[in-house]
Amino acid sequence: MPNNIIRLCYRKIIDASSAQVWDKYVFDSSYAEFLLQAQLYNQEKKYTLFSELLLHVPNAKKLHFLVSAAVVGYLQQLNDIFPDITDNLGRQFVPFKNFRFEMIESDVTKKANHRVAINFFSEPMTWHGSIGNYLLLSAAGEKENADGVLTHLVPLQPFLGIYSVKEEIL
Amino acid sequence: MEPSRKKFLKNFLIGAATVPVILEACKKDTVAAAETATTTGTSSGSCALAPTETAGPFPTITPSSLVRSDIRLDRTGVALTINITVKNTSNSCAALSGAIVDIWHCDKDGYYSEYGGTGMQSVNYTTVHFLRGRQTTDANGLVSFTSIFPGWYSGRATHIHVHVYNAAGTSLMITQIAFPEGSGSAVATVNASTANGYTKGMTGYTYNASDNVFSDDTSGAEIATVTGSVAAGYTLAHTINVKA
Repeated sequence: MPNNIIRLCYRKIIDASSAQVWDKYVFDSSYAEFLLQAQLYNQEKKYTLFSELLLHVPNAKKLHFLVSAAVVGYLQQLNDIFPDITDNLGRQFVPFKNFRFEMIESDVTKKANHRVAINFFSEPMTWHGSIGNYLLLSAAGEKENADGVLTHLVPLQPFLGIYSVKEEIL
Repeated sequence: MEPSRKKFLKNFLIGAATVPVILEACKKDTVAAAETATTTGTSSGSCALAPTETAGPFPTITPSSLVRSDIRLDRTGVALTINITVKNTSNSCAALSGAIVDIWHCDKDGYYSEYGGTGMQSVNYTTVHFLRGRQTTDANGLVSFTSIFPGWYSGRATHIHVHVYNAAGTSLMITQIAFPEGSGSAVATVNASTANGYTKGMTGYTYNASDNVFSDDTSGAEIATVTGSVAAGYTLAHTINVKA
């Protein structure tokens, strides 16, 4: 079977119940940015919910993009490695440079209703096959050493998907 | 040497060669295990989740990536310095310090930074917010941005969007800055500058008088002062009066 090149997607949900420090910073910063930028689409102050803006105001969907500016500094702190997702040795290793930020819901009157997601898209990785519930992966283009190609075993889990797949050209 | 002993030694040597690898693996595992002390894992009965690592060494509170004076990122074009002065009509048009000023404009080809396509198209986080910036006015009410001369797109005259907030983040003014036009103007000169990547010229350009935003600005209050040259770059100066 030829190896496949895949890119993983991890969708990380952040809301008022998020406990990690990084998540809390993203929560606070994205809410502050939402309060600023939402005013462009809510000049008559008719709406309180993000979902109302989406429904009634053309272009309010740009807030996904505009609010994402608030989280870029936090993405940089991750040093280009997926947060949370570890191999079965407990190490974070999935490299990424691409992301997409989503507003799930927000509320100009109530911070507790603010909920966002960051989708992390990995750099291309070689999928050598699956063992039980685990994907056997290596960095795409990883050179063989005396032991062969070094790999990581990653468990399938909620919010971790395969974003794209293509056959490896050898 | 008897065959079995020879075999034993051979196996021992292979084993010795692999020992450092195993030690290394154990070492890393130990580090990972120590790190779990600061994170919460979940477990159910005897089935425990693999140990996790901390989110990053030391997360720190970081301002929005829009807070920068050089807003070019990966965009190229003729240099443009954007100087905007904010004045307060509620205070005899004195300079308004501490106001937050957001600006955004298109690149030389007429494109804004935004999510393209639909759904889950991914973007590189380091360059995606090009030509958007945020600064806070100084004691003279001034903010300054380093950018490139905006191009244009069908239906609109060359323009820069501005959103002014008070220090608390409440919106005070959403407006746009227009450019002087006509032969010899910066707009005409820059858009003829194919050497700098401006390929559209002025054919099909929408002039201020026909622009659906600027056409009612008969006094030219929205038109900035633009000085400079293609070689040296241009400087735009404009004053925006807000009621703070």
